[in-house]
Amino acid sequence: MNRSNLLYNVIAIVILALVLFMFWNFAASTSYVEGKITSGGVVIDTLSTIYGYLYGMIPICCVLILFSLAVAFYLEEWLSHRSWQYRIIERIIAIFACIPSLVYGLFCAYFIVVKSQQISYLTLTIAVFFIVVPVTIRTTQQVIQKVDLSVREAAYALGAKRMRVIADHVIPNTFPMILTGIFTTISRVLAIAALFIVICGWKITESNSKHSFDIPNNAIVLLSSALLFSVISCLFEKKKSL
Amino acid sequence: MENKIEIANLKVSYGDTQALNGISLNVHPNEILGIIGPAQSGKTTLLKVINRTLEFNQGISVEGTVKLDGVDINSIGDVYGLRRRIGMVLPLPVGLPLTIYDNVAFAPRTAGIRNKAEIDEIVERCLQQAALWDEVKDRLDSLGTKLSGGQQQRLTIARALSHQPEVLCLDEFSIAVDPITTMRIEDVLKTLKNEMTILLVTNLVQQAKRLANRTAFMLNGDLIEIDETDVIFSDNPSNRSTYDYVNGNFG
Repeated sequence: MNRSNLLYNVIAIVILALVLFMFWNFAASTSYVEGKITSGGVVIDTLSTIYGYLYGMIPICCVLILFSLAVAFYLEEWLSHRSWQYRIIERIIAIFACIPSLVYGLFCAYFIVVKSQQISYLTLTIAVFFIVVPVTIRTTQQVIQKVDLSVREAAYALGAKRMRVIADHVIPNTFPMILTGIFTTISRVLAIAALFIVICGWKITESNSKHSFDIPNNAIVLLSSALLFSVISCLFEKKKSL
Repeated sequence: MENKIEIANLKVSYGDTQALNGISLNVHPNEILGIIGPAQSGKTTLLKVINRTLEFNQGISVEGTVKLDGVDINSIGDVYGLRRRIGMVLPLPVGLPLTIYDNVAFAPRTAGIRNKAEIDEIVERCLQQAALWDEVKDRLDSLGTKLSGGQQQRLTIARALSHQPEVLCLDEFSIAVDPITTMRIEDVLKTLKNEMTILLVTNLVQQAKRLANRTAFMLNGDLIEIDETDVIFSDNPSNRSTYDYVNGNFG
């Protein structure tokens, strides 16, 4: 894939992201319940508060994805694989990536809904950090490792600098696969967010006998979006250039 | 005569495997030095040490010194500049995922050349030298990776020539090229010898005989013998195993 193709892919992704965003806003505008929790001194007022927090998490999620990509490229392109730093970081990432994202979601729900009964960006950020960062780093690392050493050698043998080799050869070769990893991660985050909303909705209806428990519309939207992202990630995987 | 390259007691190991066992040799300016030997004798490793592309392999240990124009290559801070001075053609063609034009223009652009006319001239000259111009001049915008194996190999040769290196390392350059094209490239190499020093690693001993001023014979990581090509291919080289190898008794 040359640079112009890369540019077209980026434009396509931006348009796709805008469409998804519009779809999400439209579907999420049909809010489920505005019921206040009346007993037990619970601070969570409405589900809309939670939605506000979740929307607030989108930029954090984007930053974490970019951070993960940077870490993956640093590990693979700069740090020696035989250094102790690489081995330790690699081991830690492997451990956290192996833990199912559901565990982080439940951890988040436990602290917010049961333990502190307060939504905090810190708790959400920690949960999203552990869902996004290890998996994105690991998948990106694996993709970078697949770039044939001979391609790098050929470029370096011509006097190309490291950044030039990464920009001209590594990224174009790995771009579709990196996107696959990112979309899979986003899909997981959305699924966990849906779970979180379901737990909160259940907690609200449990506290307020006027409401019967039903799965909130927003959770369904989130789950649909998660499914959509999974399908998109599969499409990009088929488009892989490696 | 000042040596272009001086290699002294060069030892290289890949983890526990010793690839070069203390090699010492000198390469004269504007000569073609043929390096022959069976597989696993350390020929490719030797070339990769010289242009410092061996550093990308993990777990490599290198001892000894390699000097280019009297300067230790490991003391050269600008390793990218060093690699532009020492061109390299790998055994199997590696087409960079760029157009044919951009493949050849890659190194000049990397070196800071921005003038379109100048780059056009370099691209045409290098493709002609690599005996590829006539076949691709009408489709320079096609992807280099879409060319046939032989054409890709000639493209890598054109690419290596594009930054006008002082030393050109050719590692089995003709492995994917047909005999007629090989002969055309060999003619080009004989001309290029006036402009640069050429290290030619080849399994085709007759190719070394045709092209090389001097020939080195390597075996199992050792330099068995280096001498004038006529001596190496005579009935009386210094070492018996050299005679056996060039006459096809083993290898």
